[in-house]
Amino acid sequence: MRVTVKLFATFRDGRFKVEEMELPEGTSVLGVIQPLNIKPEELAICLRNGKDAKEDTVLNDGDTLALFPPVGGG
Amino acid sequence: MKLEGRYDRNKKTLSDEDQLKLSNSCVAIVGCGGLGGYIAEQLARIGVGKLVLYDGDRFEVSNLNRQIMATELNIGQWKVEAAQERLRSVNSEVQVDVVRGWFEEKKAPDRLRDVDLVCDALDSRDSRVMLERVCHQMELPLVYASIAGWFGQLGVSLPGDLSVSRLYGHGEKGVESTWGNPAFTPAVLASLSVAETVKLLVGRTPSLRHAWLQVDLLSMEFERFEIQ
Repeated sequence: MRVTVKLFATFRDGRFKVEEMELPEGTSVLGVIQPLNIKPEELAICLRNGKDAKEDTVLNDGDTLALFPPVGGG
Repeated sequence: MKLEGRYDRNKKTLSDEDQLKLSNSCVAIVGCGGLGGYIAEQLARIGVGKLVLYDGDRFEVSNLNRQIMATELNIGQWKVEAAQERLRSVNSEVQVDVVRGWFEEKKAPDRLRDVDLVCDALDSRDSRVMLERVCHQMELPLVYASIAGWFGQLGVSLPGDLSVSRLYGHGEKGVESTWGNPAFTPAVLASLSVAETVKLLVGRTPSLRHAWLQVDLLSMEFERFEIQ
């Protein structure tokens, strides 16, 4: 299945902005972030097709995943 | 000091009625660092009648790169007191009250009694979530913003929305701990916060309710995401 992964803010550093990935059926959010060296605790916001998703959310063909690091400064 | 023409350039962005509404408004700015300093500066210049500034820190040398209220002459001074002095010279028509301390949930009902709106200019994720909870309990609108490096986020949370807790309730310490905060990011995010604040104060519809703006000054992309 094909999933579009969008990275935001510092997640783009050394990685990419948007990439279409070919993934095995049943891949979860964790299965996407682990190969990208993003730890679950580094993930502040995770949207699948615009709605909140969790690490164990299983992805479907055609999904778009948007991943954001925590931005907390003032 | 009452100066003729002080608000001439607010027209016609703001009507006379809007200007009057601002002068009768009170905004609490929680955190008086990078974001809070610029927010206070702009709200005073545009003519919000009363500001309440919260911060428990004194200025340090490392604040000079971005905090508008910090100067070489006031290192060591309470941030809120330095801000109060500066704002007095900018617009003495504005009443500026200060709290030399951190925002405390139990003291909030008393301190926020006369406040119409709260601006979140805090620097930790947990305290942002707490501030939203307090604002909702007190039926106060909240405009929140956060920054890290080239990046920022902002939005509006009205009572019951829980937008801040959705955005800031997960994840570890913010990436600002490694990426720092350069001069331009707080200035941009503070300006965007003030635009939303002014809309709420004059009775216009805010643009970022149930949504947040993801600001990327490295790629110059401003993207809006819905909070569903």
